[in-house]
Amino acid sequence: MAAHFDTEYQRLEASYSDSPPGEENLLVHVPDGNKSPWHHIENLDLFFQRVYNLHQKNGFTCMLLGEVFELVQLLFVVGFTVFLANCVDYDILFANKFVNHTDSSKVTLPDAFLPVDVCSASIRDNVTVMFVLMISGVFWLHRLIKFIYNVCCYWEIRSFYTNALKMSMAELPYFTWQEVQARIVEIQKEHQICIHKKELTELDIYHRILRFKNYMVAMVNKSLLPVRFRPPLLGECVFYTRGLKYNFELILFWGPGSLFESEWSLKPQYKRGGNRLELADKLASRILWIGIANLLLCPVVLVWQILYAFFSYTEVIKREPGSLGARCWSLYGRCYLRHFNELDHELMSRLSKGYKASSRYMNCFLSSLLTVVAKNVAFFAGSLLAVLIALTIYDEDVLAVEHVLSSITLLGVCITVCRSFIPDKHLVYCPEQLLRLILAHIHYMPDHWQGNAHRYETRDQFSQLFQYKAVFILEELTSPLVTPFILIFSLRRKSLEIIDFFRNFTVEVVGVGDTCSFAQMDIRQHGHPAWMSEGKTEASIYQQAEDGKTELSLMHFALTNPQWQPPTETTHFISQLKERVQRETTGDGHTLTSLSEPRSLIANFLAGPPSLASLHLGRDGSLANHGPVGVSDGASALRSLSVSSMRGSCSSTHRSAGHASSASRAMAGSSTDAQTASSGSSVWEGQLTSLVLSEYASTEMSIHALYIHELRKQQSGGELSRHTWHRQDSDDSSDSVTEEGGSGGGNTNPRKPIPRSHTFPISTPISTPGPIPSSNSGPNPDRGTTPGQEVAPLQSNSQRHYGGNTDSVGPGGRVVRSERVPIGGWAEEGHGGRHPDTVPEERSEDDMPPNIHKVT
Amino acid sequence: MNCRSEVLEVSVEGRQVDEAMLALLHTILLHRSTGKFHYKKEGTYSIGTVGTQDIDCDYIDFSFVRVSSDELDRVIRKAVGEFKDAMGNGTDGMGQISLEFYQKKKSRWPFSDECIPWEVWSIKVNVVNLANEQERQICREKVGEKLGEKVINIVEVINQHEYLPKMPTQSEVDNVFDTSLKDVQPYLYKITFQITDTLGTSVSTTMRRLIKDTLAL
Repeated sequence: MAAHFDTEYQRLEASYSDSPPGEENLLVHVPDGNKSPWHHIENLDLFFQRVYNLHQKNGFTCMLLGEVFELVQLLFVVGFTVFLANCVDYDILFANKFVNHTDSSKVTLPDAFLPVDVCSASIRDNVTVMFVLMISGVFWLHRLIKFIYNVCCYWEIRSFYTNALKMSMAELPYFTWQEVQARIVEIQKEHQICIHKKELTELDIYHRILRFKNYMVAMVNKSLLPVRFRPPLLGECVFYTRGLKYNFELILFWGPGSLFESEWSLKPQYKRGGNRLELADKLASRILWIGIANLLLCPVVLVWQILYAFFSYTEVIKREPGSLGARCWSLYGRCYLRHFNELDHELMSRLSKGYKASSRYMNCFLSSLLTVVAKNVAFFAGSLLAVLIALTIYDEDVLAVEHVLSSITLLGVCITVCRSFIPDKHLVYCPEQLLRLILAHIHYMPDHWQGNAHRYETRDQFSQLFQYKAVFILEELTSPLVTPFILIFSLRRKSLEIIDFFRNFTVEVVGVGDTCSFAQMDIRQHGHPAWMSEGKTEASIYQQAEDGKTELSLMHFALTNPQWQPPTETTHFISQLKERVQRETTGDGHTLTSLSEPRSLIANFLAGPPSLASLHLGRDGSLANHGPVGVSDGASALRSLSVSSMRGSCSSTHRSAGHASSASRAMAGSSTDAQTASSGSSVWEGQLTSLVLSEYASTEMSIHALYIHELRKQQSGGELSRHTWHRQDSDDSSDSVTEEGGSGGGNTNPRKPIPRSHTFPISTPISTPGPIPSSNSGPNPDRGTTPGQEVAPLQSNSQRHYGGNTDSVGPGGRVVRSERVPIGGWAEEGHGGRHPDTVPEERSEDDMPPNIHKVT
Repeated sequence: MNCRSEVLEVSVEGRQVDEAMLALLHTILLHRSTGKFHYKKEGTYSIGTVGTQDIDCDYIDFSFVRVSSDELDRVIRKAVGEFKDAMGNGTDGMGQISLEFYQKKKSRWPFSDECIPWEVWSIKVNVVNLANEQERQICREKVGEKLGEKVINIVEVINQHEYLPKMPTQSEVDNVFDTSLKDVQPYLYKITFQITDTLGTSVSTTMRRLIKDTLAL
């Protein structure tokens, strides 16, 4: 501190001589001035988001150009459509009418155009066209203004990059986000971008960029958003489109009257449990209005969607007709598979790695009936095509015959489509193993898929995550029609749950603002006992994240951001898990002593399911070829992991990078041998970039994800009742909440929303602190449940909890928190005696039975 | 928001409102004011002196120290007076007065200058009605004690070495300090108040946000 002040107040000796008399004793100061304009930025959320966007869009120029072209494209789409509809004389084009030319008989394109005055008159007379033109004009203007605004904003960011971060735009694409982030953390010390803290952590930046996305991920995770439907004929399906997502965000996050008063803070009334019913009412009516607005705007949006789809996809279909058959990750899938605190590029790279395996998996399920039909159709179409082409080669006049060119095109398309239904003869598919490879990249899947990979139901459910592109486009097109109804009929019913969710799962973190508490990745608060955090978690069922999301997200974040220093308890969890995974791989299965420990898991999941592994290793040549390579490489990657642990010496990192790459390649299913991998590593030898590290981290993450899933599978003995794939629970629970009337916040709900698996802690509504779940680690005696690890509450006072807790603001704004079981949660926790703490004043108000309200 | 916010809560009798508010606001401003800067050549400056003054309250057993600047006092009194008028006299009521320190940031042409707050003090006032003279006497003492505590809180908060705007050069002094007063130079501040907690923000801010949000990428 003293040093700090020394710089601010300096005595200037020189001034003694020439200062006027009487001022000798004055202290003279030197202003440090605001040389950088980046101290103390008002809206850090927006700022970090822009910094991230600019990085992802590869610099200012690329972004600018991209946006300019988008604007031009928009103009072109509208203009060209209008032109085609009104200004072309199709009779001339189709040669139904003859043109009188003096010099030649050839018809030229300009002949087919109508004269300008006729054309404009027809446009003016047509009301619909005028309507469309006006709407698109307004839309375009909006885009233009937004563009100009963005240019101004991003210019700032650009100068931030060049002046503060010292990265020029030209080299920006070659920096990874992790490097950019490290520099931001670095300059915080100097510029103090965020004034609450002396130092920023990686997690702070992630929290700010992903604030709302984390909420969305958590809501999908807890099945709060209505995205699953059961229409009468189609069976279970998922409907989640961009339009719907936009509406959700509008309602919850930033629209007028939304739950958030600014980007970083929830409105205070939503943090109190007192008038939740009233707020739910208000939310419901807002949803209704927005739904109605959607309904009214639906023709406009529909026209727009169709135009846009037409122009962006027809060209693609023409070029490669197979692309419609190609699949993509659905919007729902992206939400379901996303970790907490995972940036877009991380998710995309992960999913892209899983793409190949996923499409191969989906191709396993080609219907044999279709194959037979397709083969024959392809045969007939092929012979016709061959004849036509042969004739054309012989004499090109054949092309001039009417419809020959179009039939050639059609036949070509037909053959391509048919071919996609015919499986490759020389490939051997093993769905179980493919699913494992997929899991290595996507990290999440419902438990009951394992062992059922060959079933059609599994495939159907997987296709909800990984859908046909054609289906995707179709859904987008129908979205304007369906969205209003989803809002009005499904979402509105959930308004109370939404209010409860935001109250219970929002924490205020100093220097970040209100964030989703799941995104804190605190095992203690949101861990799920069946996913490795047994004995460490204190979460009620309502508070647990499903599918081991907390645990996996934590691992993922720790691996992608090795510099991040988690709280002690979390560090403990991470190191314990790492250690176990490592032990699994280094000791090759036989040296494992404990009975409960799943045997050589890594070997298992790299080589295939246990039953198949032995068989393949022995007989099947091709599999035996890459199976062992995968195992050994994976093992060596993990072994070297212990040495380097992300920050190790250079050489070991190089080696491990080589291994990691080969491991991932082997996992991707290609039969790469170790030779190519090692030669590949020599290419990398020159530069130790964080790119290598991130690649390495993703491999490690894959192994961890597989391990956790495998462990979970073995623990539960294959019988998993809780994780039914479609967690109908939330639908049911909302029904039961509304139906059951005022029967109290009761303990036993006959239609219990969540069936528990038997490894699940039995959390009876106890009033005395008795033997609570942590002792329930039955099958695993060597689990980390020694009493020493029951870590004392680490809740620092930098967090305020809403909902369950009441804050009393102590002197100087410090917070005293007293914890309570959240209200509005799932019923079976009762009024849990787990926190028999002080009874806050609001309690009487809060404790209203949550069920008396019926939102209509 | 990227700014510190501190909340103080007091409950006082109707006639004590303005004195209590003055006491707290002046205490904060005392620590957030400097003497006038006199810039010299070579980019250095010297700081003028600031006098302090003890003020005794009439309705509370309390005295506080404020910057002895009548101009500043007039500004604060005016704001507090408005606040009190808005609260209405004598009745029960809740109100909040906030003192926000901000910094101006020059923007390029199409945008107006941004005011970025770095510290906000919110004082929540709860006005109580008292029945008889004896209660008033007790209240007089108790409020005095409470205010004493609050003053210590304020000093504790200010004593933490947290973010303060850096000392500006001559051209930028208006972006950090309020230079309109003759004898003292506080950090740029703004006093706003709010009667009861009206749900939702005003129409204008909502509109502004809506426009901003639609413009955002």
